Amino acid sequence: MIRSCHDLGLRAVAVYSDIDRDALHVRAADAAYPIGPAAPRESYLNAAGLIEVAKRSGCDAVHPGYGFLSENADFAQAVGEAGLIFVGPPASVQRALGEKTAARQLAREAGVPVAEGTEPLRDVSAAKDAARRIGYPVLLKPAAGGGGKGMRRVTREEDLAAAWRASTGEAMTAFGQPAVYLEREIANPRHVEMQILADARGQVVWLGERDCSIQRRHQKLIEETPAPTVDDGLRAKLGDAAVRIARKAGYVNAGTVEFLVDQTGGFYFLEVNTRLQVEHPVTESVTGLDLVALQLRIASGEPLPFGQDGIVRTGAAIECRITAEDSFNGFLPAGGVLSLVREPSGPGIRVDSALFAGMTVPTEYDPLLAKVIAHGRDRDEAIARMRRALTEMRVAGIPTALPFHRFALSTPEFLTGRYDTGFLARWTEREPEDLESGRLVAAALAAVLAVRSRAEHAREPVRDTAWAQVGREEALR
Amino acid sequence: MRYEVTLDGRRVRVDLASDGRFEIEDRVVAADVREIVRARQWSITVESESHEVTVLTHEPLRLDVDGIDVRASVVDERALRAGSATGRASSGRAELRAPMPGLLKALHVKEGDLVEADTPVATLEAMKMENELLAPVRGRVTRLAHSAGTKVEGGAVLAVIAAE
Repeated sequence: MIRSCHDLGLRAVAVYSDIDRDALHVRAADAAYPIGPAAPRESYLNAAGLIEVAKRSGCDAVHPGYGFLSENADFAQAVGEAGLIFVGPPASVQRALGEKTAARQLAREAGVPVAEGTEPLRDVSAAKDAARRIGYPVLLKPAAGGGGKGMRRVTREEDLAAAWRASTGEAMTAFGQPAVYLEREIANPRHVEMQILADARGQVVWLGERDCSIQRRHQKLIEETPAPTVDDGLRAKLGDAAVRIARKAGYVNAGTVEFLVDQTGGFYFLEVNTRLQVEHPVTESVTGLDLVALQLRIASGEPLPFGQDGIVRTGAAIECRITAEDSFNGFLPAGGVLSLVREPSGPGIRVDSALFAGMTVPTEYDPLLAKVIAHGRDRDEAIARMRRALTEMRVAGIPTALPFHRFALSTPEFLTGRYDTGFLARWTEREPEDLESGRLVAAALAAVLAVRSRAEHAREPVRDTAWAQVGREEALR
Repeated sequence: MRYEVTLDGRRVRVDLASDGRFEIEDRVVAADVREIVRARQWSITVESESHEVTVLTHEPLRLDVDGIDVRASVVDERALRAGSATGRASSGRAELRAPMPGLLKALHVKEGDLVEADTPVATLEAMKMENELLAPVRGRVTRLAHSAGTKVEGGAVLAVIAAE
């Protein structure tokens, strides 16, 4: 976001909580303001505090990013009432689409199919009745918010009460309200979403789909465009459905309409994300557009500089989310100090990253550390470039999801594009790779040297270099 | 000094002579070893094949070998002689630790319960998510160190399980 501002000649003001003082975005911005303690409620979710900083620092507009308050209608409204421009859809649109059951109703009215489901449920017994009517397996979903947080899959009635508690609890933590509804699960679906852009004059275009089927805990790990199973016919239908929903809602700015596509090519409206998505760079790669810059232009009242015919998609793009999660240990989040970072580059590779050596990865926030995006003339070239980039990348000091991504990009399922949201099971069933002899020798030597070197450093006096410090912090843990 | 290194389940014997020469499985290896980042990263050429090894985490020891993720462990000869190389699996006692600081949301077992391996023992809330912590072994829960609703530090022992 800061980069796009700078490309447009705009100054960027960042905010940070106490534990984010050293974060990269603080240094990338032209100005940076503290907004309170680490706990999100006291900093990044404190709407009044954020607006106060925006006014004090002389901002014209507020970009809400893609977490925290980015889909909070009250925040969008408060920004407007403070005389600032909100970079995103108006509060009224966010309200109409943000509450998931209302959005489903709107989609039905726009003639777009939706999966069978309920209104927000009163209590667990209402959920039981509804699940019996719809038939297991069902999904419990927070009515507010998205991103998979608080979502639970339930296969039998005995598990419903526990899932209800977890879902309402997480919904409360993540979105500030516990409302949950229930939806029929589509078997082995592909998660396909359509990027749209709409200006304030009523022009709406679609930019193409993204397949986001590789997920864990209903959160995306790998996204790509074009979706391997979407042909031109289905793409046009999804684009048309997304535009219809956007028009019906009076949508303005960038948004994403999410669909589940079943194995026969039937599709069901899932939800609208009334904000920029984490995975927007894959769409940027194939269209050559800067979505953040377009968001800023739309927010300042400019018309879209192109119509539907002016959008050209070239090649294929893939994004891997490198998270602070231990892929060898059930994707448990991990915090700690990064001792070494090497980011990949070269032809067709883009890295959007918060990483630097010496960084302390906090456990208070979402574990996303970096996004690696590969673009190629076709899917095969994009995959080859991504595999090369992942092999090049190093993040040491804490466990990350990098091992999972290296594995995923070499599976027959991914290579042929025949994967679904159940893909993660492949990872848990894998066999370790055999090291060829030279590598085995190198690995054995380094393992011994690592253990010796660490033991020596533990006895050494304190030295005032960054590496010594990082090593020390590690030794203390 | 002699070491036994395990790399993804494969055992390799390494001898480190005082003159700096290496032997792997009793064969002298012509390896040129450079420490690039102290105690973290090495560039190693073996018969002019170029390799890079990075320590991802020390505890447990995980390596990146030319972009391949490898789980490793190292036991030196003293420990080998002392017979402590067998690890904790046979020691009959496993600890479930908090992998990160967080809020201990729920305990799914009581002291004295028999738990199966890989079944939920506790739920820890961190990074805005609820994480199920699974029993590392099948066994009897002999101790629960914290009660539900308390904040715990990363690495804190949550439960002790006597393997059965």
